[in-house]
Amino acid sequence: MRILRKLLTEKTAILAFVLLWEVVTRLGLVNQIFIPPFSKVVAAMWFLIQNGYLVKHTLISLERALGGFLLAAVIAIPLGLLMGGWFRRIQLVLNPLFEIAAQANPFILFHIVILFLGIGELAKVSIIAWICIWPILFNTAAGVRNVDSVLLRAAQSFGLNRRQLFFKVILPASAPAIFTGLRVSAGYSFFLLIAAEMMGSSSGLGWLILYSQENYNIQWIFAGATMIAILGLTMDTILQIIERRTVVWENGATDALR
Amino acid sequence: MKKYEAVVDRFLRYSGLVAFFVLWEAAPRLGWADPQFLPPLSAVLQSIYWLAVDGELYSHLIVSLWRALVGLMLAALVALPLGFILGARCPETARHLDPLFRLLSQVNPFSLAPVFMLCFGIGEISKLMTIALVALWPILFHTITGVRMVDPLLVKTARSLTVTRGVMVSEVLLPGAFPTIISGFRVATQMTVFMLIAAEMLGAAAGLGWLVHNSAMLSQIPRMYAGGAFIILLGIIINQILLKVERESMFWRECPGPVTDEVVRSLSGKTRSLYVAAFACAFAFVLICGSQEVRRVNIQGLHSDKTASHQHNHGGLVGPLRSD
Repeated sequence: MRILRKLLTEKTAILAFVLLWEVVTRLGLVNQIFIPPFSKVVAAMWFLIQNGYLVKHTLISLERALGGFLLAAVIAIPLGLLMGGWFRRIQLVLNPLFEIAAQANPFILFHIVILFLGIGELAKVSIIAWICIWPILFNTAAGVRNVDSVLLRAAQSFGLNRRQLFFKVILPASAPAIFTGLRVSAGYSFFLLIAAEMMGSSSGLGWLILYSQENYNIQWIFAGATMIAILGLTMDTILQIIERRTVVWENGATDALR
Repeated sequence: MKKYEAVVDRFLRYSGLVAFFVLWEAAPRLGWADPQFLPPLSAVLQSIYWLAVDGELYSHLIVSLWRALVGLMLAALVALPLGFILGARCPETARHLDPLFRLLSQVNPFSLAPVFMLCFGIGEISKLMTIALVALWPILFHTITGVRMVDPLLVKTARSLTVTRGVMVSEVLLPGAFPTIISGFRVATQMTVFMLIAAEMLGAAAGLGWLVHNSAMLSQIPRMYAGGAFIILLGIIINQILLKVERESMFWRECPGPVTDEVVRSLSGKTRSLYVAAFACAFAFVLICGSQEVRRVNIQGLHSDKTASHQHNHGGLVGPLRSD
């Protein structure tokens, strides 16, 4: 009951939006062919759940998005820590390259990825990983670079060795920035799922949407889009909770900025 | 000694790029990569040259720039006032609306492409709307945050000086929130360039995204890389301009040392007005020439569609197979 009340007060805007959507379409202010009422979208979702489509495609998409995201995190966080930290020279060399690479667009990239990796699972995961790497990398490097120099000097004067300095000072101090990067990337990974699944896939939410687009099944499109939005939001919330649990000393400053 | 280090730094800064380009040229030539898939840099440059000579490149570039710019402006036109109102006047409402906005921001307009087509057709408007919808959210979020994070001391001081609401917005809130708003714009541009390409797949007749897709469909790989290179270049240039604006806009906030000549110069505003004038000129150029080019391209596209269907009617089976 308490949870229900909390939900009601916190998500009033979403409920109001859904209600507005339903009413506007039902009253015929918007053509129902263009934008189906919310109840029909829910019905479509229910239909898709019942015949197992939605769960199947959601799981496949989740696997791809999470796989790409985790791969990106595993590559980008250590690299960002190194780049922001000790190897200033290497950073000078690599930074322009990374600036260029970060601009490489997933919707172009998939043409090139197809050429090299084919249309298999690897291509899809790697395109998502490619998109996710850059926000994490840049944010991590910036976080390390902007560690308060007073903290560093204090730690040094306490005689911390390099390893201690890294684990006790640099890593915790740059954690908020790293989390900001992770959250941006998580957003991208679901947002651009459709780009990855344009590459000759036959499953996944992005494919479900493309397939429905080709068949002009508007209700299914909305169902798929709603599902992706919910997944993206859930992922963001989970990361936010992890951030709040682990980064206890920095309250809310990064929370608002995304 | 210091000069020497600066030279080394400069050298290092470009060495990565140079090495990358050399590798790009060498790898296909030495057979490390299939030249069919990865054409050497020289081949890509050559196709850029041909595109430039044709005048095709200018057309695609200006059309894409125009779309990106107008989309961003549409988004800013909605997001900035809304952000200011929500952030400054009714933060409570903003807090309530936040979950809804976050949910909506997760919806990729490309996945709703048919809905956009049904509502706005496949003309310019549907592309601009797709772009604007993507750019809207980062600008809105950052504006709300920026306005809310303006130093309350400044706001209170201004209020105790009994400034009017207009002055409060233009002299206190806007400069205070400006750096955050600009970083919102940077995120928005990134997304805009992403979605621009997607939008140009929705039945465009020109633009860099169309160039890449058309080349990919025709297996003209060097031309595809050329288009990709220009999209990257476009993203970098816009990003660098915004970074510059961001750095300039922070001048009043970060004065760590004593007031030096440089600080005074940055405050004097002479160079700034020069910048502003240059930006305004570039802006106007893109808007005017871009809109003309877009109109020309769209009319031409309509024409060639008609002739294509004409051929199809008369030429029997040969017509649709012929490419022009």
